[in-house]
Amino acid sequence: MAVAKVSERWAAMSLVPKEEVGLLVDGLARHYQVIGPKQKGKAFVLEKLASGQELRLDYQTSILPPRKALIRPRETMFSFHDNQVETVQDAGPQVLFGLHPCDVHALTLLDQVFSLEYEDPYYAARRQQTYVVALNCTTVGENCFCYLMGTGPTLRDGYDLLLTDLGNEYLVEVGSDAGEELLRHLSLRPAPRVRVVEKEKRLDQVRRQFRQQMEVTEMREVLAGSYNHPAWRELAKDCLGCGNCTMVCPTCFCFQVKDQLELDLNHGQRVREWDSCLLWDYSLVALGHNFRPQLETRLKQRLYHKLYYYEDQIGTPGCVGCGRCVTNCPAGIHPLEVVARLKGE
Amino acid sequence: MANPYQPAPVKILAVQRETYDTTTYTMAFTDPDRQAAYRFAPGQFNMLTVFGLGEAPISISSDAEDRASFQHTIRHVGRVTNAIQRMGVGDTLWVRGPYGNGWPLAQMEGRNVLVVAGGIGLAPLRPVIYYLLNHPEKFNRAEILYGARTPADMLFSNQLLQWQTEKVKVRLTVDQVPNGDAWAHRVGVVTTLFQEMDSQPANTLVVTCGPEIMMRFVVKGLMERGFEASQIYVSLERRMNCGISKCGKCQLGPKYVCRDGPVFAFAELTLLPEPVLV
Repeated sequence: MAVAKVSERWAAMSLVPKEEVGLLVDGLARHYQVIGPKQKGKAFVLEKLASGQELRLDYQTSILPPRKALIRPRETMFSFHDNQVETVQDAGPQVLFGLHPCDVHALTLLDQVFSLEYEDPYYAARRQQTYVVALNCTTVGENCFCYLMGTGPTLRDGYDLLLTDLGNEYLVEVGSDAGEELLRHLSLRPAPRVRVVEKEKRLDQVRRQFRQQMEVTEMREVLAGSYNHPAWRELAKDCLGCGNCTMVCPTCFCFQVKDQLELDLNHGQRVREWDSCLLWDYSLVALGHNFRPQLETRLKQRLYHKLYYYEDQIGTPGCVGCGRCVTNCPAGIHPLEVVARLKGE
Repeated sequence: MANPYQPAPVKILAVQRETYDTTTYTMAFTDPDRQAAYRFAPGQFNMLTVFGLGEAPISISSDAEDRASFQHTIRHVGRVTNAIQRMGVGDTLWVRGPYGNGWPLAQMEGRNVLVVAGGIGLAPLRPVIYYLLNHPEKFNRAEILYGARTPADMLFSNQLLQWQTEKVKVRLTVDQVPNGDAWAHRVGVVTTLFQEMDSQPANTLVVTCGPEIMMRFVVKGLMERGFEASQIYVSLERRMNCGISKCGKCQLGPKYVCRDGPVFAFAELTLLPEPVLV
């Protein structure tokens, strides 16, 4: 996953016609499990692609974020029986195909979360065998605010290969040695300089579609003095505490651990599953004491973590502006609107 | 790759009943090499597993210099801890750790130490008390204030008064004395002992652990007496599912209580947006 700056790799740019991008998936699928966007009902999901024909690079965003390929919504950590414990590992080589810049940023954040101080062996094993084929955004989704968070719509690093839609073909850039290795499995034609210029032109057009509502640094300042702002009480009345926002968030990482025992009361598994700070029992301890019994404090925990604490933890805000929480909130809570309200707008 | 989530077996070597709902277990890793290599700092905790029921963070209550075994003083109030209550000498538990930062022992050098404990909160402080007793040269004077709900709730009742030395004073109180119980000490919440304690703010380090409501009044009472937030250290309880700053549940502001705590200077906590102990 060693990543070099794009500028060092001009020579490695190539082109693939749009109608052949599925073949690219098929080529990779001979060596890796390829996970990419495909249609599910009216929405899109990141799932294993049975063939390149399923690939839908015109997707706006996936329902669940790519972290599900690295820490599963529910996974077995180890099995136990008698006096034996066996770690369960299911990592294999995989390509995450067509990830948007916001989602790639989210993975680089999770890389730190899962390695700081102690390394999470499940995440690490999968991550080491994960290749990222990213896709610059040439359209802007309804709830996207990556530009504001500095995580899109284009990507500078964190990818092995990077695609950009140039109309009838994709520009393919190499971002790592692993990316070069991926290309070795494929036969692409080199890109003339003029197509690279075309890329910059298109991406500039996309950037202009964003309205710059607020600076990230300003969000932090607003939150720093707003913990007791009366608007929180109103927001907590709107919030259902359902936890949707955390399930679809690409940078949420909380999990709870449970044992499940088989009927012989001897064999069992320790499993973990995604948890949500919005849920009532998230901070519950023995004797029924709850450290965040009010929804208001749980809602604050979620937004302060994303827009304030995360930066203290790893140096970057925990929100990448993908807009999934906005799309999936039944109460229509939008992080930027919350900050604007706290600011008094 | 070693899996930090995977516990190792320990054998229960001794069981000491402390109160009607609390028991001290002496244990050692069944692998002698692991036990020989095991070190912990006073204030750290282990994750204890009963397979099939789950895992719970429990502070270590023994003398950190005892390398042959370690102890957990466990109040049986949850799924895992209730299962442990049904265990006895020779039974196997699964343990991983130690985790967390521990009490600021180095800062006690040349200073007075005030220990304020409430209920089960004395368990994570007992290793500090052992340290003070083992190393009288490492501090100036110490005072231990311990409060429990009733005399029957007192932990380590056969040890408490033996901890008194020329340098260490012990003061006890209970919230109430049920009819007929013998009780020769103070009645009232632990902060009532502030009226009679010798400890003064100057050159004193405070370490406290107990229910949050108790610590809140301890901090408040001490600060009213002139103690600074920076000289009061508290040990916090939070929900923990991993102990290694991954599951996220113990997060308090940008801190992970499991990794950056459980011991915090109260001054650190006052800087967090979310109020703690206020």
